[in-house]
Amino acid sequence: MTTDTHQAITRIAEIIINELKLEDVTPETFDADLDLVDEIGIDSMDLATIALVLRDEYGIRIDEDDYPKLTTVRIIAEYITTKLAEKE
Amino acid sequence: MENAKDITEYKFSDIIASPSIKERFEKVRKYFFLRESTYDMSNRCNLRCEGCYYYAGETEKQFAEENLNPADWQQLMEAEKERGITFVVLAGAEPSYVPELCKTCYDTIPLGCIASNGLMPLAKEIDYRIHISVWGNDKTSLEIRKAKNMLVRQMENYQGDSRAIWVYTFTPVNIDQAREVTETLAANNHQITFNMFSAPTDYNGHLRHTPQTLAHTRAVMSELLAEFPETVVFSPYNIVAHTHEQGLHSLFSCSYPRMNPSTAIGLGRSFRQYRTDLQWDRAAACCVPDTDCDDCRHYAAGSAVVTARMYRHATTPQHFSAWLDYVDTYLAVWVKGYDKGENLCKEMIEPPEQS
Repeated sequence: MTTDTHQAITRIAEIIINELKLEDVTPETFDADLDLVDEIGIDSMDLATIALVLRDEYGIRIDEDDYPKLTTVRIIAEYITTKLAEKE
Repeated sequence: MENAKDITEYKFSDIIASPSIKERFEKVRKYFFLRESTYDMSNRCNLRCEGCYYYAGETEKQFAEENLNPADWQQLMEAEKERGITFVVLAGAEPSYVPELCKTCYDTIPLGCIASNGLMPLAKEIDYRIHISVWGNDKTSLEIRKAKNMLVRQMENYQGDSRAIWVYTFTPVNIDQAREVTETLAANNHQITFNMFSAPTDYNGHLRHTPQTLAHTRAVMSELLAEFPETVVFSPYNIVAHTHEQGLHSLFSCSYPRMNPSTAIGLGRSFRQYRTDLQWDRAAACCVPDTDCDDCRHYAAGSAVVTARMYRHATTPQHFSAWLDYVDTYLAVWVKGYDKGENLCKEMIEPPEQS
């Protein structure tokens, strides 16, 4: 895992913990491979809110059609990395 | 290289920096936990309205057998709760025929709504929101619904009842009667919200809207919202969304299963439309089955379809305000005890382009 990806995972975990007001977990201990729908209980409105914060953070558009693909923090980090690479 | 400023004019943090927007967003997001499904409660009705969705179509829902066993309904509700459903909509054909089943649902999932014609009052112990349908003044109701003095009888049944809200369905033939109905309801301290007739599949009768009747409806809705702000539960953006020449699916991409193949998240994953035999069919699952999707402007559909498009509206303070007004309206219409705030966006703005 590159430093950039690790940093992205930590930051995304921080955003999710903050937006969902999750307790008993920190960005460092958040399992990046947890299924956000099945294991965290996230739904489309939660994801839309997180997507807006990520839009601010990284300056990228997250297509609504892509929401179903964003199933874990690691996958979101990879998605963002790809989007940022496309911008350059 | 794509510049962030090209993507959106405003950051989300800029938009919610406005105190009024921030306050409204925090107010509505407390209800993001709502997960809806709908249930046909009875295959009987004391009316036979032209254009009725329940008795339309070939999906045979009107031929499903009634399951009148409260234990089966309780088991269903417990299973629904277990899979995350937090809000039930009890509908077709007429739920007030089976109050004991409605009570069973309420006892297990206490947030919900009942769609009723209001001619048989529901006991107050079933503390759901109650949507009472109105299709014009009493003369028109008699013609289309074959029932006399409907509004008077509905108001007698629900006088002083905070569960009740009247849902006026605009058809091409009753647009100007909305004023008479709104005045009557206002004089009796009731509330009203607006629905649009959306053609059932294969319906080609005279109730199908035209561009002219959509524009006429838009003007009347706008007048009534301005003149009866305490009575009319609606917003300028609701008016735009439901009287646009394009239907809801075309404007917002419908998120109900019939038009949304995804089962990963949102309504595509959680929504089911159960029939009276407690069975459901994903291919037919829709908030109002057998509606012509291209003509759908239904208020119940919009409540989820527009609401689901938060991301798309978070591009300018005006668009996000309009979206918040829509969600605020939806919650006030559907959730008992939720008070609607003043509309934040007074103008009728166009919906954002699809992403």
